Amino acid sequence: MSSLSLPMETDRLVLRTFERSDIDDLCAYHMLPAMQRYVFSRTRDASEVAGALGIMRNHVSLQRPGDTLTLAMVRKGDKKLIGHISLQWSDATAGQGEVRFCINPGYSGQGFAKEAISAVFNLAFDHFRIHRIFARCDGRNHHSIKLMQNLGMRLEAHYREHALFQGEWDEELHFAILDREWQRSSKVKDLPPRHRVA
Amino acid sequence: MALYPTYPLGTDRLSLRPFTRGDVDAVYGYRRLEAVARYLFDVPLSREECAVAVQQRISQTGLTEVNDKIILAVELNQTGTLIGEVSLIWRSIEARQGEVGWIFDPLYQGHGYATEAANIMLDLAFGPGDMHRVSARCAVRNEPSWRLMERLGMRREAHFREHAIFKGAWDEEFIYAILWQEWHKSRQPGQTTSK
Repeated sequence: MSSLSLPMETDRLVLRTFERSDIDDLCAYHMLPAMQRYVFSRTRDASEVAGALGIMRNHVSLQRPGDTLTLAMVRKGDKKLIGHISLQWSDATAGQGEVRFCINPGYSGQGFAKEAISAVFNLAFDHFRIHRIFARCDGRNHHSIKLMQNLGMRLEAHYREHALFQGEWDEELHFAILDREWQRSSKVKDLPPRHRVA
Repeated sequence: MALYPTYPLGTDRLSLRPFTRGDVDAVYGYRRLEAVARYLFDVPLSREECAVAVQQRISQTGLTEVNDKIILAVELNQTGTLIGEVSLIWRSIEARQGEVGWIFDPLYQGHGYATEAANIMLDLAFGPGDMHRVSARCAVRNEPSWRLMERLGMRREAHFREHAIFKGAWDEEFIYAILWQEWHKSRQPGQTTSK
């Protein structure tokens, strides 16, 4: 396994670990009701977001099962933080990982999340040798559902009223993709820089 | 709310009752079989292990806390033969979730006994147990088990592939579930409940 090299770049994004100075951009989307509706931890005001940021700043690598790597999605050019994505190493024996993501609604619909998730899938399968990645979402979260189908993930579970979430019956979907199902070949991979300088 | 049913539960053909110390030989009769152990977390059991299993089950007759189990011996009324067991686990108190399971002696398959016994457990869960949703799980290759879940009116909610290692190989698992309103509708007069 080569050593993890961060930040990572995609066509339009830089994926890097969080910094203390990200607080304002993070507050801009993390406190929105549309975001709060589907997240596990409440971040209703700047101090709660600061608490979340403190946790995410510690998510810098996957050393042992249970660890989480959280990356800020930063737009190239204006350096704007527009969302974040995390990969949790949930099980070592069976090589399982879970992906979670949030994007500022002001920047959604432009393929940024897909770009970031694809990069994290590559990282998970190639670098961390994960066998299966899964993601969960609320049954009403149509944007997430579409995105996961778009990424080639299979719907593995559709739980109905299996728990209470924010005081209501929960409806939860699980999507998953196996190492061999992830079509790396269809992705255009950047050549290493030295090959470009001809 | 705790659940302490009055036993035995049953139908014309079957009695569901707590295990007793005298059940060890009958349990060993099927738990020693590879065909029975294949999809359970256990390997085939020795007689001593069956004695321990029975000992545990003797007190598993009520639900007071989360993850408590009711495990009942299923007996044929006509002969008094023990043909297997059914279980109900309390998975969540707040969200009123339960899980049912079963293990049956292959010798008595094909008579609808397992369906009948499992239906009694659903009635217990949704009736006196006041549960909202009951789930069941099995290996995808264990077709008799998921066929039974379908006969019980449960829906397939999950199909996990290679999400875990089970007995040294990739696991593939189904989760089925039924909600209170679905169970209630199936018990209305005029509804045909499949046996």
